[in-house]
Amino acid sequence: MQTFTMVLQEIWTSLFMWFFYALIPCLLTDEVAILPAPQNLSVLSTNMKHLLMWSPVTVLGETVYYSVEYQGEYESLYTSHIWIPSSWCSLTEGPECDVTDDITATVPYNLRVRATLGSQTSAWSILKHPFNRNSTILTPPGMEITKDGFHLVIELEDLGPQFEFLVAYWRREPGAEEHVKMVRSGGIPVHLETMEPGAAYCVKAQTFVKAIGRYSAFSQTECVEVQGEAIPLVLALFAFVGFMLILVVVPLFVWKMGRLLQYSCCPVVVLPDTLFYQGARRVFLSTSRSGE
Amino acid sequence: MKLQCVSLWLLGTILMLCSVDNHGLRRCLISTDMDHIEDSFQEIKRAIQAKDTFPNVTILSTLETLQIIKPLDVCCVTKNLLAFYVDRVFKDHQEPNPKILRKISSIANSFLYMQKTLRQCQEQRQCHCRQEVTNVTRVIHDNYDQLEVRSAAVKSLGELDIFLAWIAKNHEVTSSA
Repeated sequence: MQTFTMVLQEIWTSLFMWFFYALIPCLLTDEVAILPAPQNLSVLSTNMKHLLMWSPVTVLGETVYYSVEYQGEYESLYTSHIWIPSSWCSLTEGPECDVTDDITATVPYNLRVRATLGSQTSAWSILKHPFNRNSTILTPPGMEITKDGFHLVIELEDLGPQFEFLVAYWRREPGAEEHVKMVRSGGIPVHLETMEPGAAYCVKAQTFVKAIGRYSAFSQTECVEVQGEAIPLVLALFAFVGFMLILVVVPLFVWKMGRLLQYSCCPVVVLPDTLFYQGARRVFLSTSRSGE
Repeated sequence: MKLQCVSLWLLGTILMLCSVDNHGLRRCLISTDMDHIEDSFQEIKRAIQAKDTFPNVTILSTLETLQIIKPLDVCCVTKNLLAFYVDRVFKDHQEPNPKILRKISSIANSFLYMQKTLRQCQEQRQCHCRQEVTNVTRVIHDNYDQLEVRSAAVKSLGELDIFLAWIAKNHEVTSSA
């Protein structure tokens, strides 16, 4: 009887243990994240603006939030357990994060993302290859060339305080010298050269980022031409002299013409003395004939 | 006469090479964005210095009084002090505030970059340290060891402006602004 009781007890204990062990996965399943980790992490970096992107985690009818953390080379070497929350992406909605304000030194950075839905969080997904900002794609700068009278003026795209510009300009003629000017910041009109009329000038520009020691490619060359609108100095002098002559000659001419007209239409006639005497003698002669 | 000419020429060449080398060394850190490091420090300076529990003690005092006689001193001091901050100070300081942590991380990683840049510059020549400069570095480490490690780390962080000002004075780093 006792043996039977003992056997029953053992069977009961075994059943209980088996049941308990069977339940463990179910219990653990509730605590372990069932939310999948974001996949396909990548960084798109253009002109020192760095965007971390990943494939979204979709859960029907729910909004999934994401958190991003980073670790510079210093942290990975000296304090590898420390990850720093991203400045702008703690619980962000979109499957991307602007990490420009986090990547502030020219060293490799590790980046990781996880998804959150209510009380569930996914595992961390780490960027496969650490990102160094010296791999950013630098594009040629946008530029606007204008003529302010004879002044050649350039206004470059404002790309932020990390960008400086190298502007090359030259007169479009064989053997012309190329001038180079360093422009510290964009968004402000800068005077390059005072142009000579009738000449064409060409300009191109590239960016320089001091923090990574790299230049972009040059922009497309743009040329401007100044029309020969201005009268050369000699011609101007002639024009002035001619004008002054006209000022003097015309009144004189008018006066002379006036005098001429006066003589031709209404002259003051005065008989000469000889004519007057001749007329008197003839009168005298004709009177004596008629008197005989 | 010929011998005199040759020796003078040799001396001139050596002097010229030395000046080129030293000039190159001074310009070693020219690509580092010092403005950004200074801005980052200014943002956290007050918070860090407020945590300093020993205001009457200075760890970097000897740096201010060090007379830079040779350009090689600049290389040596910079190398030693960057190592002091990167290997000891940043590691010993545990910052709970995320905003301050971000700025300290930015400065630490920038210093790491500066160490790499300096090493590239030094590849062609060795950065020998004079005894006086070695002594200055040792005094700084001794000052640090005399305090409790967390207080020492906070104090050294608060004195970063002394080091940054020294770099600006001795490295001809042009402003990016």
